[in-house]
Amino acid sequence: MTLLGFIAKNGLRNRRRAMLSVGSVAVSLFLLVTLLTLIREFTVPPEDVGASLRLVVRNKVSLAQPLPSRQLPVLDKIPGVIAVTPFTFFGGKFRDESFTSFAQFAVDPPRFTNLFVESRSPPKEIDAWIHDRTSCLVGMATMKRYGLNVGDRMKLTGTFYPCDLDLKIVATYEGSMDDRNVFFHHKYLDELTGNPGTIGTWWLRVASAGDAPRVIAQVNRAFENTSAEVRAETERAFQMSFVSMWGNIKVLVGSICTVVVFTLMLVTISTMSMAIRERFRELAILKALGFRRREIFSFILAESFGLAAAGGLVGIGGAWCFWHFINIQELTNGFLVYFEVTPRTMARAAVVATVLGVVSAIGPSLAVARTSVVQGLKTLD
Amino acid sequence: MVLPLRYNFRNVVVRWRSTLATVLGIALVVAVYVLLQSLAQGIEKSSATTGDPRNLLIVRKGSQAESSSLVSREQLRAIQYLDEVSRNRAGEVLISADVITLVNAPRAEGNGEANVLLRGISPRGVELRPQVSLTSGRWFVPGKREAVVSERLARRFSGFQVGGTIKAGPGRLLVVGLMSGSGSAYDSEVWMDADESRTLFEREMYSSILLRPTTPAAMTNLVNRIESDKRFSLRAEPEVDYYKKQTMTSVPVKILANLLGTAMSIGAIFAAMNTMYATVGARTREIGTLRVLGYSRRAVTICFLVEGAFLALIGGVIGTAVSWGLNEYVILRGITFGTVDLQSFSETVFQFAFSPMLAFKGLVFSLIVGLAGSLLPALRASRLPVISALKSL
Repeated sequence: MTLLGFIAKNGLRNRRRAMLSVGSVAVSLFLLVTLLTLIREFTVPPEDVGASLRLVVRNKVSLAQPLPSRQLPVLDKIPGVIAVTPFTFFGGKFRDESFTSFAQFAVDPPRFTNLFVESRSPPKEIDAWIHDRTSCLVGMATMKRYGLNVGDRMKLTGTFYPCDLDLKIVATYEGSMDDRNVFFHHKYLDELTGNPGTIGTWWLRVASAGDAPRVIAQVNRAFENTSAEVRAETERAFQMSFVSMWGNIKVLVGSICTVVVFTLMLVTISTMSMAIRERFRELAILKALGFRRREIFSFILAESFGLAAAGGLVGIGGAWCFWHFINIQELTNGFLVYFEVTPRTMARAAVVATVLGVVSAIGPSLAVARTSVVQGLKTLD
Repeated sequence: MVLPLRYNFRNVVVRWRSTLATVLGIALVVAVYVLLQSLAQGIEKSSATTGDPRNLLIVRKGSQAESSSLVSREQLRAIQYLDEVSRNRAGEVLISADVITLVNAPRAEGNGEANVLLRGISPRGVELRPQVSLTSGRWFVPGKREAVVSERLARRFSGFQVGGTIKAGPGRLLVVGLMSGSGSAYDSEVWMDADESRTLFEREMYSSILLRPTTPAAMTNLVNRIESDKRFSLRAEPEVDYYKKQTMTSVPVKILANLLGTAMSIGAIFAAMNTMYATVGARTREIGTLRVLGYSRRAVTICFLVEGAFLALIGGVIGTAVSWGLNEYVILRGITFGTVDLQSFSETVFQFAFSPMLAFKGLVFSLIVGLAGSLLPALRASRLPVISALKSL
């Protein structure tokens, strides 16, 4: 029997225990990966290809405060700005849902198409969208989720605005960061609300990323001391501002992660020491046969490491598969969108598993090392 | 014949070394579960304790929250002279037209910004909300750019202390006082004069109307009257009912609590099973002896089930105690948590809300883990052949 075979046999001789230990390690690591992914979802918004070239201009007071549409010509004239579109959150409810499950934005279609260059749609459809004032552009994710087809009507009940939309789906898009949104004509919204002359935010595209800081400063200065002061920022910074809104949630989930890891340690260490305690006599015999402490330590280490590795493989791999194949959007009603288990997250969990394997071998090894051969042989069970 | 409980108790105590890790593991699982549940309850409690049963809240038809509602001045004028609205001793109508706006404010720790809900209220607004009291400074003077901040918010944002200024639109608000909403949703708000707020933010409309009908019968009357009047297109409902529905924010925390509770309990059941199998293995001879002494199979099964349950219950008690202690500590130190309210997109401040019910839930949870973990080992123990069990080492 080779040494490796010996270790493997030892590890599996109490199959039930091995299974249970691997199971509890796997469950804990699954949780760890899930929580780390959750933190990531909250703190690192995904980056779009065109994001570095896009700027968001909102009211300095807060996002909820509208901006006057008279600002458009001023923005148009700022050098370095390629495209500007109003971007107003409508927040309508679809069908008989009780909350807004996907976002709808009122935009200026011809300008909008110059802004979001990375999303793909058939040119014919875009053309149709631009020319029909009550039509809309719908993301593929939403189309699939509700089983919609081009040509269908989409009725939305306004929650922020005192009006309802009756839109015709004429175009679809995919390949953007968030394929759930619906875009429609700002003019249509203006008509329904009686031309209040306000919009939600402006979205601009600059010629090059190097231009962005200058354009941001220029936009901010342009409306200083007016009744609607603005705050311009990159799309990235805009998304990060939502992260700050989550407040203490990140710390909370982080501390839960720590508790999970700690619990995991406790359980695995106890399993390992149980496994070794049973074998005290055998290990004493090995000692008597001339095996060194170092060698015995490596037996124990290999066994606990194997246990942790198996648990890690099942738990981390399981988490990846689970979150990869499950539709998280549907499960959480659109609250979580991406929930991508990244290699980085998996690596972090793998490190925890490795540390676990090493740490849980230390206690039993010390116990074995401390006991003399005679004492060990005398132990009953 | 059932084995005495003392036997199980002594077994767990004597072999404390092998059971300690399992007990602690279960304790941590229970603590996490109970704390998350109490957090979710804390969020719900703040909105559940906000409404006053005597008040009626009026918002625009179709809007889900006050912040997205609009009420015109004509509508206000029409409503405030209805007979059903009560008056105070001075003969003033108990009605408040509120203006809800969001203000972006820098956090006190300097890490980013968050939206804060700024509520403009009419002169009778404070009277309508008896749970709100001034804790320091004074109330704002109508017509002046002054604000009163909730104590809990004041700790979380910079410039929110008395004497500080809040940047709001083109102007600045001077903080003249701090208030306490005694755990209600008002603890996450800043208050100012409603009409001053309309000027400041160039708003034509109010957001909502809060009023006190004369009698409960008048309340139902008023609800029907406003609902059926086409010219209003408003929705009236008791303030209590409105706030009961504002529980969306606690949903993610609840999902998290359930997810963690389920996954961690599976892990804990595995751990308990491992321990109990080891216990059964170590006591094979003892079990044989018990059987020879005349204890039935069922007695042995129950014995190990009881032992597993007892083991887990110790963990449950420790876990619940830990979460209770943490809860007391947090309240004593006045620590609050904040996250985004999913309805108004403003910062909502909350605390743990530990309750005896939650403690009970935690204990039941641990008991289930213990029983589930010891069922298979207990069955195994009862099925051991007596002779070979006696012979085993």
